[in-house]
Order: sequence, then C-alpha cells, then structure tokens
Amino acid sequence: MLKVITGFLVGMAVAALLIYKLAAGMMFREVPSQFGMEETVARIQQNVLHAGNGWSLSGLRNAAKPIEMSGGNVLPVMMIEACSTNYSAPILKDDSLRFLSNLMPCKISVYKKNDGKTYIGLMNAELIGGLFGSKVGDIMSKVAADQAKFIQFDASQPAPAMIKNAPAASGGSGAAADGGC
Amino acid sequence: MAVPALLQTVVADMRAPQFMMSSRFRSVLPLLAAVALLATSTAHAANAKLEQIIAPVPHSTADHSKFKELNREFKNGPEVTKACLTCHTEAAKQVQHTKHWTWEATDPKTGKVRGKKNIINNYCTSPVSNENDCMACHAGYGWKDDKFDFKAEQNVDCLICHDQTGTYRKLPGFAGHPVYKRVEFPHGSGKFVEAVDLKKVAQSIGMPTRSNCGSCHFFGAGGNGAKHGDLDSSLQHPGKYLDVHMDEKGLNFSCTTCHATSHHEVSGSRYDTAAAVKGPAHIRGKKDESPASCQSCHSNKPHHEAMLNQHTDKLACQTCHIPEYARNQIGTEASWDWSQATTMGPDGKPMARKDSAGRRAFDSKKGAWEWDSYVIPEYRWYNGYSDYKVIGDKIDPSKTVQINEVGGSANDPDSRIWPVKVHRGKQPYDKVNNYLTVQHTAGEDDSALWHNYDWQKAITAGMKAANLPYSGEFGFVDTAMTWPITHMVAPKGDALGCAQCHSKNGRLQGIEGIYMPARDSNRWLDLIGWTLVVLTLFGVLMHGALRIYSSRKKG
Repeated sequence: MLKVITGFLVGMAVAALLIYKLAAGMMFREVPSQFGMEETVARIQQNVLHAGNGWSLSGLRNAAKPIEMSGGNVLPVMMIEACSTNYSAPILKDDSLRFLSNLMPCKISVYKKNDGKTYIGLMNAELIGGLFGSKVGDIMSKVAADQAKFIQFDASQPAPAMIKNAPAASGGSGAAADGGC
Repeated sequence: MAVPALLQTVVADMRAPQFMMSSRFRSVLPLLAAVALLATSTAHAANAKLEQIIAPVPHSTADHSKFKELNREFKNGPEVTKACLTCHTEAAKQVQHTKHWTWEATDPKTGKVRGKKNIINNYCTSPVSNENDCMACHAGYGWKDDKFDFKAEQNVDCLICHDQTGTYRKLPGFAGHPVYKRVEFPHGSGKFVEAVDLKKVAQSIGMPTRSNCGSCHFFGAGGNGAKHGDLDSSLQHPGKYLDVHMDEKGLNFSCTTCHATSHHEVSGSRYDTAAAVKGPAHIRGKKDESPASCQSCHSNKPHHEAMLNQHTDKLACQTCHIPEYARNQIGTEASWDWSQATTMGPDGKPMARKDSAGRRAFDSKKGAWEWDSYVIPEYRWYNGYSDYKVIGDKIDPSKTVQINEVGGSANDPDSRIWPVKVHRGKQPYDKVNNYLTVQHTAGEDDSALWHNYDWQKAITAGMKAANLPYSGEFGFVDTAMTWPITHMVAPKGDALGCAQCHSKNGRLQGIEGIYMPARDSNRWLDLIGWTLVVLTLFGVLMHGALRIYSSRKKG
C-alpha cells in the first residue's frame, strides 16, 4: 500500500513539475518569419482583412516607441491588434465571461531578436480558451484556426503596404472601438 | 519675493512690540516706504527694458543680411559665390583642395586614386557619364561632363553647406545647380519645386547644421537612409535613444562637432578612418586636426570598470555602443539587384513597386532592392584602411566581388573589431575584360538606360565616357560593399552586454584570431578543467566516506 501511495505522490510531483516547466511554452507560440519586420506585419494585416468571420484590424502598436521616447532602445516590437465581433460578442454578452475582455483584442506580435531575424509571437488561443469552459473553448478553437491562417504567407505575392493608420495606431485606446471590439 | 509683499513684511515687523519708535519716525514711515517702492519699481522697469533692448546672442558674429554685396538679386549660384568671395577671399581655394570638390582621394599605400569619381560602387555604380544627375551632391555648380572647370572659383557652391533657410535644394538633372525656375519634379509627377530665392539664402548663411550635411549624406544612393544605414533624415531631429550625442534635447551635436574642419577639409572620411586611436583624450586643435573619433573626447580608457577598458585594444567603441543601426522605420538598403532592371510590368510598360514600409522595392529603370531596419551589424577587423576597386580594376566573376576590402587582422595592433554594414549587389560587368562596367543611366538621350531600357547602349556609352574598352558582352556579378558604422550611438545603458558576444552563436561568431571565453573552447583546457572537477568531486566523496567509515568503527 505504501508503495502505491508513494508512486502516486511521485507521479503527482513529476506531473506538477512538467506542467510548471512546459505550461509557459504551451500558452504562447513563437514562429520565425521569412520576411522582415514591416513586411511580416503587412502580410499579417492583409491576412486578417481577408480572413472573413468578422475579423478586422483594431490597431497597430509599436511597443518599442515609448521606450525610445524615454531615451532607451529595444529591438522593434510591433503588435497587431485584430478582433472578430463574431467571436467577441458571445463572450461579452455573458456576464460570467465579461472578464475575458482582458484578452481582447487578439494580439499578434512581430519582433526582431538579436540574431537579426524576425519572429511572430502568438497566444495559444485554443489551449487558453479551454481553461474557461466549453463555450469559451469552442469560440477560442475557432479563433486559433483563424490565427493559424493569419501567419500563412504566399511569398509569390508582392509585399503589401503596412497599414499604419489602423485605429489605435498611435497608442490610443478609445479609437480601437472602431475596430470591432 | 514681490516688492509689495516685501513692504508689508517690513511694516508688519516695525509694528511688532520689540520695534518701538517715536511717533515722529512712525509718521515718515509711509513716505520712506513709498520712496523705496518707487526706487525698486524703477530698477525693475529699467531691467525689463534692458532685457527687451538687448537682443539674444546671435550664433554668428556677422549678420549677412547687412552686407551690401548680398543685398541684391542673384541670377544663379555662381553669382552668389562671387559675392561670398569678396570677403571670404580664400574660401574657394580651400574648398577646391577637398574631397567634397575633387571627388578624389589618393590611396596612401598604393597611390591609386579613389574617390567617388573613380570607384564603382554597388548602389548607383558610377557618376561617370551621369554627372548631370549625380552632381546634385557635388559642392559645386556645372559639373555635367569631363569638361568641368575645377579651377573656376565661382563654381564652388557655398550655399549647400551654409544655407540656414532649409530652402536650398539641388535636384538631379541640373548639374549641381539649384532650380532657378519652378519645375515639375520628378518629371511627369505633377509635383513642383519652387525656384530658390538666392538672395534670401545668401543673407542667412551660417555654420553647417546636420540638415546641411544630411542633404547629401542622409540621401546617398537616391533614397533616405539607403546608403549608410547609420545616417538618415531621422538625425535631423534625433532623440536620445537614436544618438546620444546628437540628441536634439541634449548635447545636440552638429556633424562638425566631431568632424571638425580645417581649411574647409572635413575630418573623418571613410577613406581615412581613425580606426584605433590610443591614449588619452586630447584638446581640440592642439594635438591633431582629426577629432572624428570617440577617443578624442573619451580617451581609450573611458570606463570605470577596468575589465571593460581592457577591451579597447581589440574592440572599437562602436561595436558595443551601436548595438543596431538604422534604428527607425526609414531603414536602410540591404541589397540592390541591377539584373532586374529593364524588366517591364505585365502590360509591357515600365513599372515601380514599393515595399511594406513605403520604400522603393522595384523599378524597371533600376532593378530591385531589399531593405532592413534595426539592423544587427556584421563585424570585421578594421584598421582604417580600405582597398577600393576603381574603374578598370580586374575582378573574378566566379566569386562575390568586394567593392572595398577593409584592412586589418587580429595580429595588427592598429586593428579593432568594428561593426559594419555590408551592402550586397548584383551589377553588370564586362564578361571578356573582367571588370565592372560603367553605364550611362541618367538622362533623356537615347543611350540612357532610364530612358531606353537598353543595357547594351547604356554600357557602351558609359564605357566610352570612362575611356575603357568594352567587349560588347556583359553579365551580372554578385558584389559586396562594406561600410564601417559609426553614427547612431546609443545611450550607455543600451550598449551590448557581455553575453551578446561571449556566447556560442554570439555577435562575434565570425571574428577570427582571438580567443573569446564562452565562445571558444580548447580541447586540452576543457579536459584539464573537467578532470579537476571530477577529481575534486571524487576527493569530497572519498573524504566523506572515510569519515563515515571511521566514525562507525569508533562507535
């Protein structure tokens, strides 16, 4: 009996350790981009605009800008904000789920690292959505499917222009309302 | 404290019990107060008036609008220069000895004459046969072919460096002249450039600002930031993050603060770089005429930490303190592929396309470009010497042709590891004679590439102007041009950290000739180290085991 209990406890400890170590990596994804910063941003923006399912651009923020304004430097980080009313409305209508507005709008970050390459950072919407019950899980699995399409690029197509004046591009939050969320 | 408040305080103090006085004295108090008030007010008024009368301290000791020589209308630039020379009698002679005028620089090692006029770069390639356009960045007027008079003093352009109005522009196509009549530019664009007001410009001249130098150096190769990467229009009004020295709200250095001039010769040319300055900081004008190095002000031991100072005999300051260049979305050109020039759009007509950030990406006239921003530099040993290919130098087309090879090695005490921009290109060469070709690109004549889209005619005309034989067969060869990076110095808090170089796959991965801890390893050293670790562990375990054994034996 002691062996069974010990084995169970050891198994629990190992599982907890694994979750602790792997959870962060599972919650977020990082994908290298074949394009430079601006082109990656522009191609994602175009994919969002052509994704259907109510998707629109809510903003484009340059997270490095405030640091530059205060006299410092970081490698560039652009955050594309996108929202789909098809997915946000059912969550925002439900009082018990409205706190999930914290996760809105969806953000896809595009950044450069010290190897000189451009990367795309995404939240694992399906996994995180699953933590909040079946309703949110279902919605977020659809969001995840659309997100996967956002970062599929057709290199044979010429680079589109980056949309700089998307709502909230200057960092304001109120303007984001026009974007759909 | 304001005067009425001061008086109230004095009167209140006098009314205090300890300030007892006679009734006669008390009666004259209001009179005394009134006199004091009047005197104080008059002094304040006088001071205020003086402040209004005395104008702010001007930058220059001469107000050029007061000179009668400049108080007239000018038909063209040379007329202005003649007026300048009536006072600045030796200025043109000085300018005529500088690279800004000759576009030549002699190689001190080989005697080879380099300079813009003689090298073929992998941007616009060569000004030869294209002078009418390229000389928009010449400090002179009228250089449109090989007949230009380099001795004529009135051909020196004073205004391009000294204009303070910001209205003086030289456009391609005018052989270095500004526009004297309103013109549509670019031709057919519907955009117009107004005629320059030469009188206004001549009357407002001053010492060169960042905008003066930048009017050429920010826009080299025909685009903002295209050529250098560490020079673009963002440096007209830079923040601290972009350049700690040029920070507009801080030190606000102009270019000439570092690139100090002597007899109009600007120090710090890429043909003569101070790559490894040693010793303490020096006083400007006392020791040498070239303060265009970090050490001129900071010395070669600028850090509080001795360990960092030990790096200065191997690393240029720029290596750590310019972690990235082109730190904005202006970006810089990474490559120029001329082989795609003359490719037409789907309708068979010339076309142009921009990239996602609005920078030129393709043009049927010029080919295709790639851009990058916030660029991590490449690194090279550099001793300040670059061997440039000049017109007619032989190449090996089976390899990437180095337009310039930067000198230096780990064994050279005058070498430092420098950050560089490497601009890649693909450009035409003579397949039989094996040299890069000169092509006639700009112009409206039938042999100009940008007019007729015919490579054969363009190369034939260009080679003829360069006095070089042309076989009639051309191909395209890969080229690379290396530019030491020295501007866009970040605040010290943003300098590279140790691990960015001292690690596997770090920034200095490709640098050879030195041992770098954490990057490099030595098999024997590693073996000795690990053996010591294992022996130490073994010793500890043995010691513990023996103690347990001996205690049990005693027990």
